[in-house]
Amino acid sequence: MSRADAGADTGSASGEKAKRESFTGTSVKRVEDHRILTGQAEYIHDITPEGCLHMALLRTTHPHARIESVDTSKAEDHPDCALVLTGEDLVEDYNPMPCGLEGFEEWSLATDKVRFVGEPVAAVVATDRYVAEDIVDLIRVEYDVLEPVVDSIEACDDEVVIHESVGTNVPDGECLEFGDPEGAFEDAAHVVEREYSWGRISGVPLETAGVVATYDPDHDEFDVDCNIQLHTLVDDTIYETLGYPPEKVRVNVPADIGGSFGTKIAIHRYCSLASMASQHLDGTPVKFVEDRVENLQGGDMHCTDRKYRVKLALDDDGTVLGLDTWFVDDFGAFPRYPVNQALKPLSVVSGAYDIRDVRYDYDLVLTNKTSQTAYRGFGVPPHLYALEMAMDEAARELDIDPTALRHKNLVQPDQMPYTIASHNVYDSGDYPEALDHIQDIVDEKEVCEGGLLDPAVVEAKREEGKYRGVSYTLLIEPGVSGSDWTDRQRSDREALKVRDRDEVAELPEHLRAEVRDDGTIQAWLAADSSGQGHQTIVAQLLADELEILPSDIDTGYLDSVTAPTVYGSAASRMAVMLSGAAKGLGEKLKGNLRQLGAQEWGIDVDDVVYRDGGVERVDSGDRFSLADLAAIDGGINDPKTRVSYDYQHPVTELPEFDEALRNKFPVYPTAAFAANAPIVEVDTQTGQVEILKFYSLRDCGTQLNPDIVEGQAHGGLAQGIGAALLEEFGYDESGQPQAVTFFDYLLPSVKNIPPLELHHTETPSPFTATGAKGTGEGGMIDGPAAIASSINAALEPLGIVADEIPATPDRLRRKVREAQE
Amino acid sequence: MSTDAPEQSERPTQEISLTLNGESITAEVEPRLKLSDFLRNHQHIRGVRVGCEHGVCGACTATLDGRNVKSCLVYAVQADGSEVETVESLADDGELHPIQEAFHEEHALQCGFCTSGFVMATRELLDEHPDPTDEEIRTGLADNICRCTGYHNIYDAVRRAADEMEGAGTEADD
Repeated sequence: MSRADAGADTGSASGEKAKRESFTGTSVKRVEDHRILTGQAEYIHDITPEGCLHMALLRTTHPHARIESVDTSKAEDHPDCALVLTGEDLVEDYNPMPCGLEGFEEWSLATDKVRFVGEPVAAVVATDRYVAEDIVDLIRVEYDVLEPVVDSIEACDDEVVIHESVGTNVPDGECLEFGDPEGAFEDAAHVVEREYSWGRISGVPLETAGVVATYDPDHDEFDVDCNIQLHTLVDDTIYETLGYPPEKVRVNVPADIGGSFGTKIAIHRYCSLASMASQHLDGTPVKFVEDRVENLQGGDMHCTDRKYRVKLALDDDGTVLGLDTWFVDDFGAFPRYPVNQALKPLSVVSGAYDIRDVRYDYDLVLTNKTSQTAYRGFGVPPHLYALEMAMDEAARELDIDPTALRHKNLVQPDQMPYTIASHNVYDSGDYPEALDHIQDIVDEKEVCEGGLLDPAVVEAKREEGKYRGVSYTLLIEPGVSGSDWTDRQRSDREALKVRDRDEVAELPEHLRAEVRDDGTIQAWLAADSSGQGHQTIVAQLLADELEILPSDIDTGYLDSVTAPTVYGSAASRMAVMLSGAAKGLGEKLKGNLRQLGAQEWGIDVDDVVYRDGGVERVDSGDRFSLADLAAIDGGINDPKTRVSYDYQHPVTELPEFDEALRNKFPVYPTAAFAANAPIVEVDTQTGQVEILKFYSLRDCGTQLNPDIVEGQAHGGLAQGIGAALLEEFGYDESGQPQAVTFFDYLLPSVKNIPPLELHHTETPSPFTATGAKGTGEGGMIDGPAAIASSINAALEPLGIVADEIPATPDRLRRKVREAQE
Repeated sequence: MSTDAPEQSERPTQEISLTLNGESITAEVEPRLKLSDFLRNHQHIRGVRVGCEHGVCGACTATLDGRNVKSCLVYAVQADGSEVETVESLADDGELHPIQEAFHEEHALQCGFCTSGFVMATRELLDEHPDPTDEEIRTGLADNICRCTGYHNIYDAVRRAADEMEGAGTEADD
């Protein structure tokens, strides 16, 4: 047991006996666990107020159709029916939902047209969910069925346009050039140009979306309990839809949310509908819980679905001179909030490589599919996948070892901090050393007699049609997104070129705390959590600052009205932002407490120190404990034992980021990284890929809680394995979704997970308060590219490249067949 | 079902009696009510979680007459006369069961939504294989999905629980 564990277990409230070793940096066991393990945790699905009614949705089965009529009469006649709402009802009283681009009109229930299978057309509220679903079946909708737009490349031809008022299926796109890409390609000895595709995937948390909304007719305001992610940032998607000011719509999140991974940012349709229903029912609470089929089919939660064309310009010696990427991202029926995930790859545009001349070109395309939300990595995983595939193909074309080619182009440690072509800055790290290190580990353990890559074994397996291989890749996880750049696509892009640095406004992270009468601390987060252990992290950081025990600190969550607008838990932000906020909050509280002590003793504040969970007179050694200070402070209007603190985004004081900030290019001030080496075996007879072992060397700067860091890596890599090999929201040619249950959308189970060997190094970030780097998305960002590259290494003798993700058995088998023809 | 409002439509119901976590209960339920919904919405058993309602994710795992079932695939009326146990039966006065303790110690949960299902699956696994091999763990947990942890720490938790419970004999499972 570590010292910190021993300390935490003593559980003293006074704090005076606390050990002074740091809790931060140790694996303090999570404070969230007990309530979860015993079944006491209250998730949104568990919240059902007295008298609550239940909502169910009628969803269309057509990908593209005009609504001729909606007949709700039979439904309304049902004795248990409390309310039926249609799109028409909404238009009278409310607003469309905010969209990611200007010019679109998306209502919470379809009005004129349906544009994807699963789009809600009507809502029913009844005494319970079973009955509500019975009543949904009584609604009759007449449709004029239209030709669907399914393929994202064909969609660009605009033969059938999904939004007539917009007039095109390609509502956004931009071609950005950095350096002189044209010159680089002209001068190059070699140009490698290839195409890649990344399948439609998503986070698919085990807990679906849920909401309980209550309208208060006396005050004309709403209480919305829900599991939305970023509840203080995206609450506008609810209050704007309702047509109310922010302070009239109180969005509240439970302490426990059953996973999100970005996806629940976009559940506002449900929150708005339940709120409207409660308003129509004079304040009766209305609950909606999305079921799994709804979630997979039409839950507004698919994510990146891209087709890439990548060009690399290279010298004879393998130096990459230029990079040119173009892609289409199939956003589904509406360009929702995450349109800027088409831009986030600019934060790592050249990966771990030193490439100065870059063209980055994309088209955002609409089709008759479920709209996109965010998912772990936010558009970066497909970019790094496509880039690494092109590196493998360049190595083949130039007949260079792929690892040697990568090494030749890596950013060197003496270039740190390194400003990439698209103006983001990598903070720190020794990439060549990390890549060497992981290769040494695999060489020593596996490329030897008895190892998985024992040359004799590899040869014998190949005789059986089983191809083994490994690739060594170095991949970067950009962390701590700024917020200012995220509306680039809604900005005048020409005007950005002359924008002043002073116009940039970032969002801080907010924390509050008060000293309770018994001397313990109550803290509040403004950011919601969905399994990351934020309560534990805040407790351990504050315990260190205040020299008390984590068990003396409770943490709760602020609702959207009480809290200021913060960005929240996304973009690998919280390790940096929460730790910065906790440190600042602790310092501020200590300063206040010293003042309070000085006031009470009638001495100068400089003669009072903070020590061991209390303040002390320097001259006499007299002390006030935290409980004493709470008592002294009682009744004062401006209490000193109650503080809040806003940690400013680290880039605000860093001139290195001025260029990116002014131009609204993605700003991610931490660059965590991983050197990966998954050993794969491809059965060429079946097309099945087995990962025999996954080696990974990871660095996310200073680790606040190593157990939590490792847990994030494990979970991220599992999702990376799913993305690389299993998961996909397929659609058939008529626009019908093919993955609407867990029998079709294949999540990794214990059977798909290989043995993992993780190694960690710590290169602190020079840009953050604690040296921490963001680490919430890593494995999902670096897993897929690494696995696909190892498949390439395994199938190199057959000349095959994993140019389609997921690399499913049928796809690989087809390639093998073609290669052998 | 959950309300006796006078305007409610007439739907057939059936009386069921069962033992839930050691307590005898009787209830009037619709035949179409899933056991998972009966436990959650009628008996306020939160530890049974609903993740898919089609028998894949295992978050709703409960024990029915000594065997684990996915309670979303069982109707409440099928549990008539049966003994049902959920994760709520494991902790003793707030004191965690060795399996729960092992999940805590090994950081084998993140969002926690799947956790009670995994704890129940582990209980059955260790019942059958008190000292399980990796292959037995893999088979024993293959019916449950976790989207957060990547399973590694769950393996470690199962091994730790097995070690802990071996010392306490089979009683530790009670």
